[in-house]
This record gives sequence, structure tokens and C-alpha cells, in this order.
Amino acid sequence: MTDLNERYIEKKSFFSRLLVVYAFFGFAFSYFLFQTFSLQVSEYSEYETAAIKNKTKEVLVQPVRGIIYDRSGKIIVNNVPTYDLIIRPSKIKSIESFLSEISLIINLNSDELGYIKENFDSKARYNRELVVKKNLSEEEISRFEVRSYKFPNTFIDVRYSRYNYYPELFSHAIGYVGGVSNDELTSILGSQKLPQKETIFKYSNGFLIGKTGLESTYDHILRGKFGKKIYEVDAKGRLLYERQFIKPTNGENIFTTLDIDAQKVAYDQMDNRRGAVVAVEVDTGSIVSYVSTPSFSTNAISNGISSRAFNTLIQDNNKPFFDRAAQGRYSPASTIKPAIGLFGLENKIIDWDFSIDDPGYFILPEDQRVYRGWRKGGHGNVNLNKAMIVSSNTFFFSLAYQSDIYKLINYLSNFGFGTNVCADCFNPDKGLLPSPEWKMNNLNFGWFTGDTVNLGVGQGYLSTTPLQLAYYSALLANKGKSKPLSFVFDKNDSKNFYIQSENISDLDWEKLHQSMIGVIESPLGTAKRLQELKTYTVAAKSGTVELVSTETKEDYKIVRENEGNRDHAIIIAFGPMPNPKYAVSVVIENGESGGSVAGPVAIAVLNSLVDK
Amino acid sequence: MKKELTFKNFSIYFDHYLFISITLLSIMGLLFLYSASQGDLNSVIKQSIFVVFGLCLMLILSQPDPDLYKLYSGLFLILSIALMLVTMIFGKEINGAKRWLNFGFFTLQTSEIIKIALPVFLASYLYNKPLPISTKHTFITLALICFVFYLVYSQPDLGTGLVVFMAGVYILFLAGLSWKFIFTSFGLAVLSMPFLWNNFLEPFQRQRILTFIDPSNDPFGSSWNITQSKIAIGSGGISGKGYQEGSQANLNFLPEAETDFIFAVIAEEFGFIGICILLALFFFILLRCLYLAFNARDRFCRLAIGGLSLILASTLFINLGMVVGIIPVVGMPMPFISKGGSSLLSFYIAFGIIISMATHKKLMQK
Repeated sequence: MTDLNERYIEKKSFFSRLLVVYAFFGFAFSYFLFQTFSLQVSEYSEYETAAIKNKTKEVLVQPVRGIIYDRSGKIIVNNVPTYDLIIRPSKIKSIESFLSEISLIINLNSDELGYIKENFDSKARYNRELVVKKNLSEEEISRFEVRSYKFPNTFIDVRYSRYNYYPELFSHAIGYVGGVSNDELTSILGSQKLPQKETIFKYSNGFLIGKTGLESTYDHILRGKFGKKIYEVDAKGRLLYERQFIKPTNGENIFTTLDIDAQKVAYDQMDNRRGAVVAVEVDTGSIVSYVSTPSFSTNAISNGISSRAFNTLIQDNNKPFFDRAAQGRYSPASTIKPAIGLFGLENKIIDWDFSIDDPGYFILPEDQRVYRGWRKGGHGNVNLNKAMIVSSNTFFFSLAYQSDIYKLINYLSNFGFGTNVCADCFNPDKGLLPSPEWKMNNLNFGWFTGDTVNLGVGQGYLSTTPLQLAYYSALLANKGKSKPLSFVFDKNDSKNFYIQSENISDLDWEKLHQSMIGVIESPLGTAKRLQELKTYTVAAKSGTVELVSTETKEDYKIVRENEGNRDHAIIIAFGPMPNPKYAVSVVIENGESGGSVAGPVAIAVLNSLVDK
Repeated sequence: MKKELTFKNFSIYFDHYLFISITLLSIMGLLFLYSASQGDLNSVIKQSIFVVFGLCLMLILSQPDPDLYKLYSGLFLILSIALMLVTMIFGKEINGAKRWLNFGFFTLQTSEIIKIALPVFLASYLYNKPLPISTKHTFITLALICFVFYLVYSQPDLGTGLVVFMAGVYILFLAGLSWKFIFTSFGLAVLSMPFLWNNFLEPFQRQRILTFIDPSNDPFGSSWNITQSKIAIGSGGISGKGYQEGSQANLNFLPEAETDFIFAVIAEEFGFIGICILLALFFFILLRCLYLAFNARDRFCRLAIGGLSLILASTLFINLGMVVGIIPVVGMPMPFISKGGSSLLSFYIAFGIIISMATHKKLMQK
């Protein structure tokens, strides 16, 4: 009985204990099942994405940049394919031993070696490829191919170079391309919602971005959109097969208004003198010629330049990198006179009949200070027309003296001075249209009447760029009507700008044009030497920018011993008259005579445009 | 439906439920293995030889009377311990672990054998002890359990060691270990945790636990395994990606896809539905064991069936817990499914013994 009882107790104890353990496992397995359920059902999409991401590798495919054309459809900048020798720096241990071996079969000059050594580390760090030698010859290709087994992570492939067919003509207008900083790359790819990742390159130089000129201002259009190659990969990252190829969208081409022939003429005429030429189409504001000299070859820079060659350019005293057309600040000098004359007419300070006696100087009544003209003895009795032709300073000193400075500044700003006149120029300088406030804030001096008088002949604080002068020239040519300047004419977006005037009639404009024609055609004209250079009529206004103020011609002779102190030569011109199609501005630093030094350049450019 | 199939001269002891469900699991295991091994026919053929052999072994081991197991369990245990010791000396070393004895055609993981031998022996040792188990017998039992655990643990094989340890403790617990002892030792265990942590765990084992607690602390990349396993399971969804379509397994993202993480392969390819079917089979087997334990003919059989079935439950518990990321990574195959002959055979042996114990009636009851 006890045995039976004990057996009963034992059995009961066993059952309950086994049930406890089973219950524990039952609970645990239910929890695991629940966990599986939440992974597979509640969080399914998250894990599905993760699994796809695991086995997917995306590689970016670089687009090819757009081609840049001139106004007649000739290619200025293109992408030129070459066979290049390329390495993956991140997988090459020692660049020195690599170079010593590769140079046995492929000749590398010191510039190329310098470029490789300078860029090796950063390319390795960002896991980008490095082009060791561009444009391999057939012989070099075959020499490498038979020995390629010796060079892992080195290969030959077709890569584009950004090639400008006129590398020096358009160096400032079109600019150059260059490597992308990491931040820029992030933002470029970010605009396509892409992260930075391995990329199949089309260019020798890898990622490119427009650095200056149109390459920069139209970078977003020229650049195109990156494509993608999507591969399936295994856990070791081996590419199994290409699942999808989203082709890159190549950049759009740009049809500029630039004229290769006019550009050539302007460039040749400048003859490496320091200065700038800008020519525009009067009706549309289209820039047809845009030259800053001296210049440099964009091709070397766009496609990889060693820092030594780059430094040579940077350190050149003539500053070839400096874009004088958009960033050079020059006093407009006498070229301002048409605007001042118009101001006098508009405000009825003068009319065409009004005349004064020009003794060769103007005495400021307030302090008896003498303001001299360029010609000793003066020009006699001058009205506005003669004052323009002979460039009488006295007339305009006197006119400015009677002007309200604020009204004058406001009027001059209509002509683009102190403003940006170009829709798509690269970093255009606004120049300086001074005002009493500007002078007080910057120079800590009040505005003197003398400052206003100086403004009347474009000397003093007022400064402009050749680009602004071209705009001003076009505005005068078009009788106060203009469009913002641009390299790429957009019919849809070209609002006309009119100078608001109450007292200036079409007749006044015609008289003004006549007086500017007289600058060349009149025997008294300051640019009469240009008469013979053309077969049609041109209106112009020359100017000579005094860098050092001198009392007499003898003094100037001493000053001009130093070339850098010589006057700048400057001219604005438009033609053919009476219906001008093109307006041009020319500045030649230290060129001394607006009419006879800058003038021929302006006429030559007009000739090349008008002849078409 | 346990019964003897009686022929003219002899009876076959056989349990339909267990036999069919285990056969079904084994066949499913072969299919899963074929996919997990990316269509490696060789390993599937090798595994199927084990399956066929194992099923036969199970059938054979069902035939002897349980008293025979009771009688020879001591010998069985001594032989197993001897095998363990031989392994320590002559074992085949893989990845710094000496767990295998090479028999030419087959390498035996000896700890898988002792996993069965220990609980059967303990059942035979404790079945006639009065309730509650005396302190003396408790300590003798525990000493044996710890000795065997240490043998396995020192290979090193923490996972199997834990299962062996648990198997012994189950028998002790089911045999009627006193509650007083349970609570006291539980308290002591908690107190001795820091000591065990510092002295018994290998650095990599400690790291696994640390990584489990804080996945960002992962110098050996074991949380990568768990992450990939979770991705495989999660991306399977409700109905799965289809047989052999699991990218996680096929593209080698999933570690140990054929062994420890085969559950993730199944989950990826057959989804939640597949998992439910698989787990249902396991639950069925376990519940069948519960039923058989309740109806066993004597205390020895009860203890043995209970203990052996809990080995299955524990192995599955550790494997599933690891794969779904709830317990730290310890190598643990999925019973009847994962690649590996030793584990497979040990479960066939266990179930052969279970069936024997469930089907043989006491002579006097007949």
C-alpha cells in the first residue's frame, strides 16, 4: 500500500514537474514564433529592403558633358576620346616602384610624373582612378598589353578629355573644368538623390565640374545626369551579373552667341597686350566676342596640369588668369561723356545750342581749383556736339558742376554702371558707381563738388568693367533700349530695358549718334585716324584713363618712363550707322591713346562682324 | 497508437506518430539542406545516408526491452566517457576545437553520444530512489553531471555542454529533486555568476554575451551573423521567396546556412507559413513524447522519455533563440534538419530508446 501510495505521489510529482518544463518550452517557442512573426510580417518590408540592399551593388556611370558651339554652329568645346593608361591608386602599394617599372615601357615626362605623384594619395584615399598617361600611341598600347600581367590594377581604357579647339581664344569666356571637391560632389549627386559611390568614369580626370566661364555658369546644364549600373553581388562583393543599366543622361549642348571669327580678330588684335574686348549684338544683348588678354590654354588645365605648370601661370606678372573683361576695373574716362551729355539734356541743364568757351581748363568757383582738359589752350567755343567730338573736358566739368550728384548717380546707374549687366557671365564685377555715402563709409571723407566735377569726365572714383562698357555702348547704340548681356540668347527671357526719360527725344539720340560719328569722321575727332580702317560709318567715344595726374605733357613724359604708369586706352564704338548692329568696348592697359590704340582693335572686330 | 506489429514469430515495436513525423522532418531537412548548400548534391547524399541509417537505427533501438537499457546504461555511459577521452587525445582539430573522432567514412562528434548516455544512465540511477532525492544522491548526480559537462565544455563546446548539463538536470528535477535544494542552488548560482564569468568563460564566449547585450560592441562580428539571419528571416515574409530563391543563403550572406542557421534559410524560402508547418511538426513530436511519458510503464521509462524529449526541446530552444537573435550565438544545430551526422544520429538513437520505452509493456502487465 505504501509502495502504491509512494508510486502515486512519485507519478504526480513527475507529471507536474514535466508539465512545468514543457510549459516553459511552450512559452519560449511561442515567443520565438511571435518573434519570427514580427520579423516576417510586421517588419517584412524593412527586412525585404535590407535583403535587396545586401545583394545589390550600384555603380554610378558618369555622363558626358554637353558640347559648346559658337553662333554659327561650329564646335568650340568637345569631348575627345583617347586611350589612356589608368591605375587604381587605392590598390597600388608603392607608387615609386610602380613608376619605375612602368616607365620602362611607357615614357613619362617630368610634368606627368609630377602630376601622378601629387594626385596619387588623394585618389587613393577617395578610391578614384588616376590616369597615368593620356593619349597612348598604338605602339605604347601594344607595349603595355604584352606586359599587362605584370601590372595588376593597371589598365588601358578610352577616356574623354574636355577639349577646346581654340584653347586660348575662349579661356575666359568659356573657362575650364576641373576636379570636384567632396562637398561639390555630394551636392551634385544629391541633386539626383544619389550617394557618393564607386563610379565608372568617362573622363580621364574623373569627376568634373565647370570651374570658370560658361563651363561654370552652365555647369548644371552641361553636366548631365549620372547613370547607374546595378549588379547583383554575393557576400564577398563579387559581381555576379548586371541586373540593370540606367544610362547616364549626357549633358545638354550649349549654343552660344560667340563668334569664332570675331573672337580670333579680337584676340589677334590685342596681340598679348593687357586688356579686354567685348562685342555685343545691339538688339539682343548677345555677347559675340569676349576676350581678355594675355590668355592661357584651358586644355592643359581642364585635363590635369601639374602644379609646377599651374604655378607658372599663376605667378605670371601679366595675370593671364585674370578675366579683365568681367573683373577688370577701369575708369571709363571720356567714354562717360555721352551719358553725362544725355543727363544734361534730360535735366535741361543744357540743350544742343548751349555753348561755353573752353580755355583748356575749368576753375571750381568754390576753391579756385583748376581742372584741366587734355589740350592746352582748349577748344574755343564748344557746344555738346563739338564737346563730344573733341572730347572737351571743360564743357563736361562745367555741366557736371551744375548737376545734382544724386540725380547724376541715379542716371548713370541706368547705363549699367555699378550693376551687373550680364545674365550668365562668370563672377562679373559690378565696378563702382560712387556716392557721397559710399565715400563717407569707405574713405571717411565728405563728398566734394570737385568729386562731381571729376565724375563728369569719368575720372575719380567711378570704375567700370569692359563688360559694362560694352553694355553701355549697346545701350547708346540702341537709343536707350537694352537687354541684359548674355552668351546664350534666350528668346523667351529677354525683357527690354528702357532708360526712363522725359526730355530726350529720338532726335536727341540721333544728334548724339551724329556727335559720336564725328569722333571718327570729323577732322577734329579724337579718333579720326580710324576713318580709313573701315568702309561704313561707326560711332565711337574714346577715352584715356589717367593713372597718374600730371599738369603738363612734360610731366607725363617722365611718368610714362614706367610702363605701368602709362594711361589706359579705352574706346566704345558701335556701327554700322545709322542702324548699328554691333557695339564694342576695348580697354588696353597702359595703351595711352583711346582713339589710336584701342580704336583699331574695336574697328577690326566690328569689321569682322559687319562683313558677315 | 503505439503498438507491436505482430508477425508470425516476432513483434516489431513501433510508434506510427513519432516514426512518421520524424521521417517527414528528416525528408524536409534533406530538401532544405539541398537549398542551403546551394545545390551541393554530395552533402545531401551523405546526409541522406545518415537519415536512412538513422531511421533504421531508431527502428532497431526500439526493439530491445527498456530493462536492457536500464541494465547497460552504466556501460553505455562509461564507453561514451571513454570516447570523449579518446577524442581529447586523438581527436580531429577544427578551428581550435577538438570535438571529432575520425572513422574514415564518418567523423563522430562524441559529445553527441554522451548527450544521450548521461540522461539514460541518470534515469537508471535515480528511478528507485525514494522521494525526495536525498542530498547524497543529489550530490553524486550533480558531480557526474558536472564532470560530463566539463568534458564537453573543455573541447571546447559550450553549446553541447549546456545541453548535456541541462539533460542531466532535467532527470534530476523530474526524479524529484527537493525544492529546498533547487531554490538554494539557484540562489548560489546567481551569486557565483561573476566568478563563473571570470573563470569559466573563454574571452570569445564572454564577448559573444557582451555583443548580445550590446550589439554595437562587436569586435568578432557575431552580431553580423545575427543581422544577416534576421534579414533572411524577415525578408521571407509570409509565404517566402520560394525554394532555392533565398538570396541571403544563396549569395552567402547567411553564415553557417547549412548548420546553425538553417532555420533562417527555411524562413527565407518558405516564409512564416513554412516555419509554422516546421514548428508544428516539432510540437507534435514533443507533445507525443509528453503523452508517452505520462503513459510509460515505470518510473525509469518516464524519466528517460521525459529527459530525452527535453533534450530535443532544449536543442531546438537554443537553436531558434540564437537564429532569431534572442539568445547569444552558440553553435547549435537544428534537430533532424541541420547538416551533420552526429547530431542527426544522436536524435535517432534518443527516439529509438523513447519508442522502445513507450511500446514495451511490463511483462506482468501483459
